[in-house]
Amino acid sequence: MTGNHEIISAFLDDQPFDLDELAAALSEPAGRALLIDLLALRRIVQPTDAMPAIRAARPLWRTRWRYAAAAAVLVLGLGGGYLVGERRAATTSSDAPPPTRIVEAVPFTPTGGMR
Amino acid sequence: MADAEGLFAANQNRIFRYFCRAVGEAEAARDLTQEVFLRVTRTAIPAAPDGEVTAWLFRIARNLALDHHRRRQRQPAPSALVDEPRRSASQDINLAVNEALASLPSLERDVFLMREVAGLGYDAIAGACELTPDAVRSRIHRTRLQLRDLLAAPIATSRTTGTGRAAPIYERIDR
Repeated sequence: MTGNHEIISAFLDDQPFDLDELAAALSEPAGRALLIDLLALRRIVQPTDAMPAIRAARPLWRTRWRYAAAAAVLVLGLGGGYLVGERRAATTSSDAPPPTRIVEAVPFTPTGGMR
Repeated sequence: MADAEGLFAANQNRIFRYFCRAVGEAEAARDLTQEVFLRVTRTAIPAAPDGEVTAWLFRIARNLALDHHRRRQRQPAPSALVDEPRRSASQDINLAVNEALASLPSLERDVFLMREVAGLGYDAIAGACELTPDAVRSRIHRTRLQLRDLLAAPIATSRTTGTGRAAPIYERIDR
């Protein structure tokens, strides 16, 4: 009897089973009642809640690569800026630029007296 | 070899559904589902066929469910003095199912849920629960008979309403 019932479970689970054995099990009222009960059981155990849409957490190595790439860009930017500054400083001389107009200094001569 | 995001997309619903019944609370089920995938991102996914990867995933899920039960047993039970709101018939059935599942030994409960709720095949369940496929077959059947007795009233209600469905809601991914 139990063996016959187990074949009903196998049938429900899409497992290989012997057709004659299943027919024998279902020829009994108890076998048919079990099949119907197990289908009803399957229905009532299904959860009613739904999983909210969530994204998978990103793998740690991927996050680390992002940080490493951002750090590399920052270092390249700072290094590049420093080198460009250095090059400009090397090409320009430290002498004063040529004057565009000359203003002559005249000694101060007071023109009015004291009141 | 599957990547973590692909594995997550393919399995998050079935793992969530397993947790819903294994721990009996949707909120905890969501948290535990996230925890499974956090753990997956921290470890190397085994280079194995899909069925074995699913078994590995459910082994992680099962351990988390067992930890959850252990933590809950250490916490004091909530006060029974609070008036419970009136429940609908479907909420009553839901509660009865959760209570019946909670009364089962953890291995029987998990084997049954992985089959009926998560839709795993016997081989994947065997891998997840460290059993042979034959042991899975007989445990599932025994648990069904046990639940049939424990849930006789909800089953009778369900028989008189709605339509039946022979195949599980989730397709099996391995045979």
